[in-house]
Amino acid sequence: MPLPTPFFPRTSALCHSMKWKEWAGYYAVCSYETLHDTEYYAFRNSAGLLDVSPLYKYRVTGPDAAAFLSRIMVRNIEKLAIGRVSYCCWCDDHGKVVDDGTVMRRGEQEFFVTSADPCYSWFSRFLRGYKVELSDISDQVAGLALQGPTSRDILKQVCDADLDGLKYFATCKARVNGFEVYISRTGYTGDLGYELWVDHEHALKLWDAIMAAGKNYDIRPAGLDALDVTRVEAGLILKDVDYFNALHALIDDRKSSPYEISLGWTVDLDRAPFNGQAALQAEKEEGSKWAIVGLDIDWPQLEELYYKRGLPPVLSNHAWRSSIPIYTAKDKRIQAGYATSGTWSPILKKNIALATVQKKYDKIGTELQFEVTVEHVRHTVSAIVSKTQFYNPERKTFTPKSSKS
Amino acid sequence: MSKKYDAIIIGGGHNGLICAAYLAKAGRKVLVLEKRHVLGGAAVSEEVYPGFTFSVASYVVSLFRPHIIRELELAKHGYEVIPMDCSFLPLPDGDSLARWADPHRSRREIARFSKKDSEVYPEFSRVMTHMGKLAKAVIDHPAPNINSIHPKEIANLLRLGKAFKDLGPDLLNLNIKLVTMSALDFLDLWFESDVLKAPMSVSGIIGTFQGIRSPGTAYVLLHHYMGQLDGVFRSWGFSKGGTGGVSMACARSAMSYGAEIRTEAPVKQVLIKNGEATGVVLENGDELYAKTVISNLDPNRTYLKMVGESHLEPDVLKDIKRFKLRGSSGKVNLALDSVPEFSCRPGDGDHIRGDIAIAPGIDYLERAYDQAKYGEFSTRPYINAVIPTLTDPSLAPPGKHIMSCFVQYAPYHIKQGAENWPKYREAFGDTVVDTLAEYIPGLKDKILFRQVLTPWDLEQTMGLTEGNIFQGELSLEQLLFQRPVAKYSGYKTSISKLWMCGSGTHPGGGIMGASGELCAKTMLTSRAI
Amino acid sequence: MSKTYDIIVIGGGHNGLTAAILLARKNKKVLVLEKRPVLGGIAAGEEFHPGYFTIGLLHDTGTVRQQVIKELNLAKFGLKTKARPAIGLLSKRGDCLPLSADVDAAASAISKFSSKDAAGYKEYAAFVSAIKPFMANLLNELPPDLSALGTKQLWALVKKGLALRWLGKKTMMEFLKVAPMSIADFLNEKFETDFIKAGIGAPALYGSFNGPWSSYTTINLLMGESMAHEQIAGGPQALVAALEQAAENEGVEIRTNAPVEKILLDTGRKVSGVKLKTGEELKASIVASSCTPHVTFYDLLQPNQISYALEHAVKHYRSRGTTAKVNLALNKEVLFNNVGGLEFYRTGNSFDEMERAFDPAKYKQFSSEPLLDIHVPTVANPNLAPAGHSVLSILVHFAPYNLKEEWNEESKKKLYSIVMKTLENYSPGIGSSVVGSEVLSPADLELRYSLTQGHIYHGEHAVDQLITRPFPLCAQYATPISGLYLCGSGSHPGGSITGMPGYLGHKPSLKIVESSGK
Ligand SMILES: Cc1cc2nc3c(=O)[nH]c(=O)nc-3n(C[C@H](O)[C@H](O)[C@H](O)COP(=O)(O)OP(=O)(O)OC[C@H]3O[C@@H](n4cnc5c(N)ncnc54)[C@H](O)[C@@H]3O)c2cc1C
Repeated sequence: MPLPTPFFPRTSALCHSMKWKEWAGYYAVCSYETLHDTEYYAFRNSAGLLDVSPLYKYRVTGPDAAAFLSRIMVRNIEKLAIGRVSYCCWCDDHGKVVDDGTVMRRGEQEFFVTSADPCYSWFSRFLRGYKVELSDISDQVAGLALQGPTSRDILKQVCDADLDGLKYFATCKARVNGFEVYISRTGYTGDLGYELWVDHEHALKLWDAIMAAGKNYDIRPAGLDALDVTRVEAGLILKDVDYFNALHALIDDRKSSPYEISLGWTVDLDRAPFNGQAALQAEKEEGSKWAIVGLDIDWPQLEELYYKRGLPPVLSNHAWRSSIPIYTAKDKRIQAGYATSGTWSPILKKNIALATVQKKYDKIGTELQFEVTVEHVRHTVSAIVSKTQFYNPERKTFTPKSSKS
Repeated sequence: MSKKYDAIIIGGGHNGLICAAYLAKAGRKVLVLEKRHVLGGAAVSEEVYPGFTFSVASYVVSLFRPHIIRELELAKHGYEVIPMDCSFLPLPDGDSLARWADPHRSRREIARFSKKDSEVYPEFSRVMTHMGKLAKAVIDHPAPNINSIHPKEIANLLRLGKAFKDLGPDLLNLNIKLVTMSALDFLDLWFESDVLKAPMSVSGIIGTFQGIRSPGTAYVLLHHYMGQLDGVFRSWGFSKGGTGGVSMACARSAMSYGAEIRTEAPVKQVLIKNGEATGVVLENGDELYAKTVISNLDPNRTYLKMVGESHLEPDVLKDIKRFKLRGSSGKVNLALDSVPEFSCRPGDGDHIRGDIAIAPGIDYLERAYDQAKYGEFSTRPYINAVIPTLTDPSLAPPGKHIMSCFVQYAPYHIKQGAENWPKYREAFGDTVVDTLAEYIPGLKDKILFRQVLTPWDLEQTMGLTEGNIFQGELSLEQLLFQRPVAKYSGYKTSISKLWMCGSGTHPGGGIMGASGELCAKTMLTSRAI
Repeated sequence: MSKTYDIIVIGGGHNGLTAAILLARKNKKVLVLEKRPVLGGIAAGEEFHPGYFTIGLLHDTGTVRQQVIKELNLAKFGLKTKARPAIGLLSKRGDCLPLSADVDAAASAISKFSSKDAAGYKEYAAFVSAIKPFMANLLNELPPDLSALGTKQLWALVKKGLALRWLGKKTMMEFLKVAPMSIADFLNEKFETDFIKAGIGAPALYGSFNGPWSSYTTINLLMGESMAHEQIAGGPQALVAALEQAAENEGVEIRTNAPVEKILLDTGRKVSGVKLKTGEELKASIVASSCTPHVTFYDLLQPNQISYALEHAVKHYRSRGTTAKVNLALNKEVLFNNVGGLEFYRTGNSFDEMERAFDPAKYKQFSSEPLLDIHVPTVANPNLAPAGHSVLSILVHFAPYNLKEEWNEESKKKLYSIVMKTLENYSPGIGSSVVGSEVLSPADLELRYSLTQGHIYHGEHAVDQLITRPFPLCAQYATPISGLYLCGSGSHPGGSITGMPGYLGHKPSLKIVESSGK
């Protein structure tokens, strides 16, 4: 029995498709209309507003807050400047990823952490010896993601923050009609966008203010289906799809290190001890077994398979997330790995996927074979290893007012 | 004298019936002799009060081996188990905890008591799944015989050794804990909240004369968790028509393969000639002969009553006498005029359609045990109640309900002497109703009829020695190759041609069917029949 | 400039000293750091009242292993052993059964109460001696390594299994049958007289969180019984004195009043030395800690220096202290049930009463009639008290560490009066001869001896905390922290005065120094 989020009165009124799913125990809209295409194009061309309240949210405060988080996270949070956001993951003793999320430094001794899985229990296991207070504020703070090229302009109408100066992965406090919100320039679409964090009591007011301001900027409420397409285009991995929580994985083979899920860049090894440090150090020296790569799936070959059966190529406009075997180009009996999610990219006009492949196949340009089923018969088509970040517009990171000026 | 039967099975409990079905399916001529007028033993449904069908003793099903359902076509013969969705714990302070199949719903409920605990269940579950995998390797095969060098036994040992090795060191060590720790200490490894640990830990004491803090009870926890293994989360369920429904499906299956079943045919003794079982003699004096005799009775009854001390080697006699069967539980079945409502969570919602535990704390449970240790029934006992009529309305007239209450502790050996139990039976019943009424204010007025079964009654009616619900305690020294005795654990007995197929043999108690199945299969593969 | 050693041993208890001597003997530069002004830890004698002395917090030296005494050459340093004196088992009816170490003598004493019990005792003693080889194999050798399951480890396990098999089929089967039992079930099979059963079974409960009806108490009993032999003349403190001399002889440097604040690690997470409370730093690449696992990992290291697995293991290592100590100074010699002159007495009376003594511990209360393990050191050494006076050193079970009403002067007074009331059962009027006393609650024991939760064995003796003691991660004395080793009672084979954790524990660390020395 999922619960409604604080935005439910608005989202339910707008959700004409009746397409919902459960997200972390809450009702979440898949798409407001029967087809999610308009919501996708809102993310890419104007702005989409997405309810992200089901994310888990924690506040960590106290003199040892930075040290405490540094012990848990693979990144050195002590080096995170006030007003900055860090995307990172956290590992078990064996350097296997438990979850990923963002850490925002709101003050010298105050942090805000988001995660995909409930992590209070995991974090609390490390409280001994640290002067910190850890609180789960998941049920007190609502979240909205405003994503897309016009999002900055919309937000400017709504709040008093210096948005032209707010850099990618920065966060600040702002006022909206007499209440407070936290804004972070983050998101899951790989586009210009913001996430807003607000107390439950002001949630609807925030929604209304944004929707009203967005009217002239073609804002649209957007659901998870559209998000799913954008996040694959942006090469952003998803827990329980592209990797699994190491604490819940039934077998070791289902666990991944940060290096194996394209998060190696977040690992900061040379510092005080943190969870998984020794194992990660060893993996860095000895090399990883797996890597997540992008796959650019050959379109003409696929088209050809359909044509052979007298069909035009038919692809769902939904992103998919089932495991699909990937074979080597040389020998289709040798499995090189498996794709975990993918989509037809409307903007790139490409059939793309995220795949976990053995390390030796992870070089950009490597040719692999991707399994497709056309009219009930299995085939393979060629797929070229590419960067996971298929789509990366300049506006995502561009800041109008650079801090130097 | 002609031996009409390949096997006579003494006792029509579900294990006896399953054993009969497997043997009959293999073409053997089998006769089942049941003392009572109904089949099923401890898995029995009876209309004790007009219009109300009680699961008199056992009341929920989870451990039943799924391959038996397939092999004996039990679904065709009426086997149907409806899963339960909720475990409900009312608390005296007006709060309550309901654990649901929906993980987020459970998480939110638990978070009210402990945020940490609410998130730990997936980790606990991961470990128990692995433990259960190992347990499955143990329960789906005859126990290894550590004394034999027969290649088959060695293969069996190696198979088990491999199952252990496959666990990996961390889980192997945890397995040591699981076998030797108390249920509570084991749960402490994960959880902090009493409100969660208390109802979880009781699985460790069901049918055991131990407390949740007693070492060894963690294993019983697993024994009750194993049902979750066959790919189902909602493991415990109600058998359609009561737990007798399971037994009746087994009986029909056996008969469909040609087995003969007689009720009201109590066996007095096994006939033994030259150290070999040749048949049985009934209480009425009739003698029946068979090539083999199989006892569904507990080890104590089988060896000491059916066989008799004079036929036993001193070693076996000693081991049988030290086999522990201390009963610790009773049963109170209520016929109710309407749905019982809990003051902490009123209404007839889904929360009372599953199992309901009166287990409001660790100390409560432990104090209940303390009393039992000194020969008293608990004045505030642990009660596991179910209202099966909410799920299976056919059991009672429309709108009326049955509340089936499993109660612990009711020690067989009360200090007044077990034979004096009948004098305290109603007082025991009152205690149970009084305890429940603290949570269900209007309960007493709803009771149309009450059936109270003390351990003494379980012994008298069902032939469970000392009222032990598992035909013998599930402590390590009475499991595996030591169940029931070290020398004769492979369903064989010390008497040639006499076999055992009840819960007193490996893998033990519960409506599991494994003992009956494994006994039959062992006999068939060893060409004993 | 800080001093450098090959090995620093934290804790100058009998295990720490044992390890230090053996390490120094291999020409290693060894330093022992002891927090207290005296060496010996729980084996140190104390003057608890002017002119009255105990010879150690624990008083039974019958468990000190022969091979430790031999290998350390302790006889050369003045150590003398003597036959284990009889233990007076006390009944409430006024009986005192002197249970002698000699089986025949004990059986004949028992036969005065029950001939069945006398026969039962012989059977029991025969069983204990039959399983000795297996127990010795299990308890006096390095524990099997269960941290990995390679061929080597499995073979080691198979060998332990074979040691059991070599006892003969019958003994093996009997062992497998009874080991998981409760002592009540086990001893009820053999004996009929309540106080005798209780007296024989009592040691199984020491240092565990169990009553006599709890499963797996039999294995505790058998472990203790099969390892028991001669006592050390002069008790624990005599052992410590000999160890101290032996240490000196091997050139071990010993510093008392030197509490360690932290174990230091270098950037590679390897041990580099220790820092004292005074701020002084001492260097060594190997540190062997004889402290409890909790002190070693939680107090002496920074939280981020231990892995989550270790954090969890320490947190769940069960160490619920349930023993208090009462020392009495008496102005005369004492009789129990009219018997005097014995060094040891035990109360218990019946399993039910022992179980009732345990029950309150579960609810954070102390027993209203505790189980007493009484030692009268002045019997063997009258000099421990003024002439004609005597000392009683009493271990009181069960007094839980986490007492609901908290340990303070008032609750200790209550405990004292309960102990005195219990003693009155066996020695009427004893109260009037008390001239001085000391009550040590588990909280006091923690404070004085750094015993986590006041647990006298550095952690409960429970099956899952033996052999892989304290926990699988550190079961081979080595810890996940490179250069840090354990050598205290929190390691195999566990608590009480044995010398074994120090003896076995020195081996792995030695291996490391030797290989790095090359
Ligand atoms: C009160 C109670 C509650 C329980 N609750 C549950 C539960 O909820 N879930 C669960 O899985 N398990 C439960 N159990 C345990 C489970 O019911 C038993 O372990 C299981 O039913 C035993 O089956 P069996 O066939 O081995 O033996 P039994 O059922 O004991 O069968 C033995 C049969 O032999 C018959 N018999 C005895 N003497 C003679 C004789 N001289 N001649 C001929 N026949 C004789 C008896 O009448 C009986 O039918 C419960 C048991 C009890 C008593």
